Amino acid sequence: MVLVVLRRMGVFATTVVVASIVTFLMLSILPGNAARIALGVQATEADVAAQATAMGLDRPAVVRYLDWFGRVLIGDFGTSTVSRQAIGPEITDALGITVILVLTSVVLALLFAIPFGILTAVRQRKPDGAILSGISQIGVAVPGFLAGMLLVTVFAVTFRWLPAGGWVDPGENFKEFLEHLILPAIALGSVQGAVLSRYVRSSVLEVMREDFIRTARAKGLGAGRALFRHGLRNAAVPVMTVLGLQIATLLVGAVVIERVFSIPGLGSLLLDKVALRDLPAVQGIVLVLVVFVLALNFLVDLAFTLIDPRLRSAA
Amino acid sequence: MFASIATIMVASMALVGCSSGSTTAEGEPDTSLTVGLLATPGNLDYTTTAGAAIPQALLYNVYEGLVKLDNDGTIIPLLAESWTVSDDGLVYDFLLHDGVTFSDGSPFTAESVKFSLERVKDNWTANGPAYLDPIASIEVVSDTEARIILSKPSNSWLFNMSGPVGTMFTESALADLATAPVGTGPYTVSSFKTGDSLVLAANADYWGEVPYMTDVTLRYFTDATAQTNALLSGDINLISGISQFQLVDQFKSNTDFQVLEGASTGEVTLSMNNASDAFSDVRVRQAVMYAIDRQAVMDTANSGYGLLIGSMVPPTDPWYDESLADLYPYDPDQATELLAEAGVSDLTVAFKIPNLPYAVAGAQVVKDQLAKVGITADVTVLEFPAVWLDDVFSSHDYDMSLIMHSEPRDVNAFAAPTYYAGYDSPAVMAKFAEADAADATTYVELMKEATTTMAEEAAADWLYLQPAISLADADLLGVPKNTPSLALDLSTIAR
Repeated sequence: MVLVVLRRMGVFATTVVVASIVTFLMLSILPGNAARIALGVQATEADVAAQATAMGLDRPAVVRYLDWFGRVLIGDFGTSTVSRQAIGPEITDALGITVILVLTSVVLALLFAIPFGILTAVRQRKPDGAILSGISQIGVAVPGFLAGMLLVTVFAVTFRWLPAGGWVDPGENFKEFLEHLILPAIALGSVQGAVLSRYVRSSVLEVMREDFIRTARAKGLGAGRALFRHGLRNAAVPVMTVLGLQIATLLVGAVVIERVFSIPGLGSLLLDKVALRDLPAVQGIVLVLVVFVLALNFLVDLAFTLIDPRLRSAA
Repeated sequence: MFASIATIMVASMALVGCSSGSTTAEGEPDTSLTVGLLATPGNLDYTTTAGAAIPQALLYNVYEGLVKLDNDGTIIPLLAESWTVSDDGLVYDFLLHDGVTFSDGSPFTAESVKFSLERVKDNWTANGPAYLDPIASIEVVSDTEARIILSKPSNSWLFNMSGPVGTMFTESALADLATAPVGTGPYTVSSFKTGDSLVLAANADYWGEVPYMTDVTLRYFTDATAQTNALLSGDINLISGISQFQLVDQFKSNTDFQVLEGASTGEVTLSMNNASDAFSDVRVRQAVMYAIDRQAVMDTANSGYGLLIGSMVPPTDPWYDESLADLYPYDPDQATELLAEAGVSDLTVAFKIPNLPYAVAGAQVVKDQLAKVGITADVTVLEFPAVWLDDVFSSHDYDMSLIMHSEPRDVNAFAAPTYYAGYDSPAVMAKFAEADAADATTYVELMKEATTTMAEEAAADWLYLQPAISLADADLLGVPKNTPSLALDLSTIAR
């Protein structure tokens, strides 16, 4: 068990280093000059060259990479070439917002998917089960940004019940925080909830065919009780896997939803920084995202071993 | 300049938060205002960062200069109570307002004038430090009298002093221009979250009339639809300078809002690389002028909003000549004839446009119309600003582009031979220089002559002038209609 964890941590560290190199290389071949963007169209080519030197852009790529990654290892993400602020706090502020948004949408997705998935599994051959199944299919087909725009049109523009976008920190005004959170969280979570409900459904269906459920039924338990007492824990394993992957997808989906709702999260920050060619900031953000997704997968793996004792001995 | 395409600002005034209109629940006047803008400032230091977003938010609101532009584009006194100019046009004596302080408490005096303007040459890297080149020396006559001596007479100098380079700074607050600007203006910055919002609070110690709106939030959007939705839903009160005109009509029929149409300084320009093989012949450029139906481009790209100008001069400049709009009527036959005369057939041009909605829409119409006279336009869409600036603006690696030049009085810069348009006319440059040094009347005449020559020689096809359309909550008063400068002057807005 310890060996497995150590091995996974080794893979984790290697992946982070490789990801940092790939990110750095890809950004350095991206066309566009940060110095020209900073100085604008009135500056001469000589001004731009001087600015590039001041920004350290004229150093060899290897030097720039080692300088950047070396600092990152000791927790220093450097200074933004655009805002001239430390990048670390900019990232953590934005990450905090995105994490709140993603976790809320995961909770909403689960609250919808688990009961809905179980219901559609149990009512599989009934007409209502088929209708419910169809509804979740529609949910899968509607992209998050479209759901977002529809929600804004109905609840913000037409009824004026909720704000059309923006963000308020929970510490500032909790009621407004919730008002600003609800529409984007639903938009982001709806697709994942629909997808997840289909996994829950198929996982439950599969478990219901297992021998141990038949045994439980033979002992005299009803279908429902057999499922609840013995089935759900087993059905949870594949659903957990999907959920882990989905959180990674949600981080990416949040980029789009943050744009639709003008939320200053990590996705918005990333797009703004790419547009301005604020490369140290972009590298930092991408690296944080990579670490976040890897850590998530790592945790999901660990969670399996807690849910399913069989995986513990296999390890 | 083009940087402002990205910076077109949309400030929209809708009912804030609720439909209470002019008063709060307690019956007090509602003096808070939320403005929706596009293009967020990356930081707050316009001495070293280009783009219209920073001056839009800070100029005249947080920062002030000796003079400002009013909404009609006229130079009026600001920190200078009055000024006199010597007969030879070289000596400017400014009488300054007494008792003015910066928001950090330090006094504004003639020393501040000397310090701020002398700082520009060596410390400013953006927003045109060269605009102050005519200054030979600055003398502190007394605390309230500053004398500025020019090395040669310059008509454009005082106008430029109304822009960012004329800003007054205090030596005590230069440490953190990027996040904590300190000026003499009616507002101070209370918070700034890049990409999200900039919050301004009324400066209680302001030397002039304290503005009606005490709390102003500038909220930044990346999407024009999100911006208008925010206005419709009451999240914001004002959109100043909407960028997507198909979104305007829904507000015209809605009595909760007002639609204000004014003039901007944004010339949407079909630029032709005069130095390229394709367009070095004036007849080919003129053929393009006849081949393009500018009204059709404006209808498609701007839902018909805008003004056909025919030159790089907006109506707010004294040398505007409305007849230039008809200089090259839509006439494909004439275009074909000119091309034949120039011996050009099967012309293919690299048409590199920025990935901005009006450019992408307009380029399609241009491409179709050019095809009718036998010119093939290879359209490439480039990321703006990063790649467009690199490829088109810096490297001149293009034949044709389509971009808005939004800076005020940018026609002189456009004519420079080193500029990306590659227009090289020593006669026009000489006329601009002569105009700058002339008396006021001759100045206007010579400017008119030079800009007319540029139009006749088809230095570019100035398709139309972008309108300045503001959408506002119906109860807002004093919303600036035109945008003659980069600033969004908040001090006149009331309920």
